[in-house]
Amino acid sequence: MALERKIQLAAYGLFIAALFLAPAFGDEFWLNRIAKYLVYGMLGVAIALTWGYAGILNLGQGLFFGMGAYMLAMSLKLASPTSLSQGSDTPVPDFMLWNAEPGAPTDLCCINKGSFLWLPFQHQWFGLAMGIVVPVVIAGVLGAVIFRKRISGVFVSIITLALVLLVRLVLVDAQPITNGFNGLTDLGWLTIGGIEFDPYSRATYYLCAASLSLTLIVARLLADTRASLILQAIRDDQLRARYLGFNVPVYQTFFFVVSAAIAGFAGMLYVVVTEFASPTFMDLSFSVTMVVWAAVGGRSSLLGACIGAILINMIEAQVSETEALVEAWKAIIGLIFVLVVLFMPRGLGGLAHALVARFQRDEQPSAPAAVGAARSETA
Amino acid sequence: MFDVIFIGLSLSSILLLVALGLAITYGAMGVINMAHGEMVMIGAYVAVLSSIWLGANFLLAIPIAFVVTALFGLVIERLVVRRLYGRLLDTLLATWGISILIQQAVRLEFGLTFFGIHIDGLGPGLQNVTVPSYLQGTVSVAGLEFNGYRAFIIGVTLALTALTWFILYRTSAGVQVRAIIRNPKMAAACGIDVKRVNALTFAFGSGLAGVAGVMMSGFKTVFPDMGATMVVDGFMVVVTGGVGSIFGTILSSGLLGEINALVAIGTNDIIARAVVFAVVIGVILFKPNGLFSYKGR
Repeated sequence: MALERKIQLAAYGLFIAALFLAPAFGDEFWLNRIAKYLVYGMLGVAIALTWGYAGILNLGQGLFFGMGAYMLAMSLKLASPTSLSQGSDTPVPDFMLWNAEPGAPTDLCCINKGSFLWLPFQHQWFGLAMGIVVPVVIAGVLGAVIFRKRISGVFVSIITLALVLLVRLVLVDAQPITNGFNGLTDLGWLTIGGIEFDPYSRATYYLCAASLSLTLIVARLLADTRASLILQAIRDDQLRARYLGFNVPVYQTFFFVVSAAIAGFAGMLYVVVTEFASPTFMDLSFSVTMVVWAAVGGRSSLLGACIGAILINMIEAQVSETEALVEAWKAIIGLIFVLVVLFMPRGLGGLAHALVARFQRDEQPSAPAAVGAARSETA
Repeated sequence: MFDVIFIGLSLSSILLLVALGLAITYGAMGVINMAHGEMVMIGAYVAVLSSIWLGANFLLAIPIAFVVTALFGLVIERLVVRRLYGRLLDTLLATWGISILIQQAVRLEFGLTFFGIHIDGLGPGLQNVTVPSYLQGTVSVAGLEFNGYRAFIIGVTLALTALTWFILYRTSAGVQVRAIIRNPKMAAACGIDVKRVNALTFAFGSGLAGVAGVMMSGFKTVFPDMGATMVVDGFMVVVTGGVGSIFGTILSSGLLGEINALVAIGTNDIIARAVVFAVVIGVILFKPNGLFSYKGR
């Protein structure tokens, strides 16, 4: 096993160990905040998987995140005490009653035109399943269409960007069933196998830590497959990969879908941790912010992108304690981003790889090893 | 019905003003300038500041805004964009960072708030610009009533589009820009100073956005985030029209503006915007090169 590989494994091991040791160092309030950042870390992984490995810059990752969030939030909304105490046998979201026409029956089936869509969400498992299924189906259809049409580069970014804004507008416009701009608040707790996931509990933190670890491991394993090699070949030269006989759209769509599934999963966790779902998840700025995290952490490094997301948010939280710096922080982020793109396009992950490569060269000054390390830098 | 088309036309002309600059920079330089929306915002603030501090006429703000934003564009090109030629997606990301920087600079009054200094007209709040009375009210032509300000916007857009067309197709600088659009390496081989022309092109595109900002300040509130949606809209126009094609940009801004106005009459503004996005997605899916595109060589 090459030294580089060992260091990489050690980095993953250390990071995951740190995730599970963190609860020893803080109270529940702090853990809740960290849990939120871990969710962002998952988004970083999702971005790195498509951007770094497939060269697909998805500027609409918020769509999958938002869909995951809304699907679970609908179930949790129906599970909340307020929805249960609206004077009907079955739970009804409070906002539907506020806007109901006089004389409308207080039942999910027919309180307004679209409310029947909520019916299956009375089962929490339906919401949980949809949180993955909906992003996966959207990504599958979208990916199949755009990649089969050989659309690439910036045009994929534009389509995903237009789509997330489109869905956001529709979501806001469908106020009677989505509560529009206000989003879904006052949610119940997720309950699995008798464990209630109170957002300010260690259980929820461990749920997020386990999910992030699982995501990282699965993404890492995927990145080591032959499929991922082919994907990287497609990224570097799509035409050549096509001439070599690979079914390019299938590989691209597959990784696009995996990335969407991770984002949907992250969206659901976010709802569990923060107890709300809002159309702001589908703002352009949020989707671009995810890309910023991944870029700073290292677009082609799964662990790097994940750490980038967590680090930026932790620093932001620290800085935001001082009120005067809240706005200045945004400017700093903008500046960091410009500098990273200009001078450190591989981000923190690339920096780490360069360090390892240098270390290796010092250890054994044979040229081929260094070349090998440089080649396998995409990890 | 005529009213709707007229409103659509004025929406189109704003779109065109924003998109024209983007179309030139994207087409000629392969740069996606996400900070273009901030150029619009700066233009609008120039209108605000010049009326507060210079007591300047609204019309006078137009050339001032052009010069100021063109200078901003020049600086951005020199400092950042120049280093990123050939890295299309990276230009998108870096200019996104710049756009945040500019927004915050305006919001924090270039950092002066930290020293307790306040500049009237800047800061996080909303600003308004009063349109001179001779541009308000309605104009009637051939028995049809026109909103004066909307007609003014359409007029300015027509003039600037004509100017852009003239520069591109009737001057030697324009020939150089068009040569770079077709093939930058060949243009360089023929002795065109690609870097210099690119810098000026970028500045000109930014200047156009600045004028769009002045126009915008006349009927919208001015605030630091106002540019963010503009750049998305403008970029969609460029992509729909076909990269590198001024003609395509003109037609697609007309198309999208009219669709927006027509759908908005039947339903509401939100649905209208959603339909516009859907149309853009459809166009990219079925004609990835846009409706009217140059054939690259």
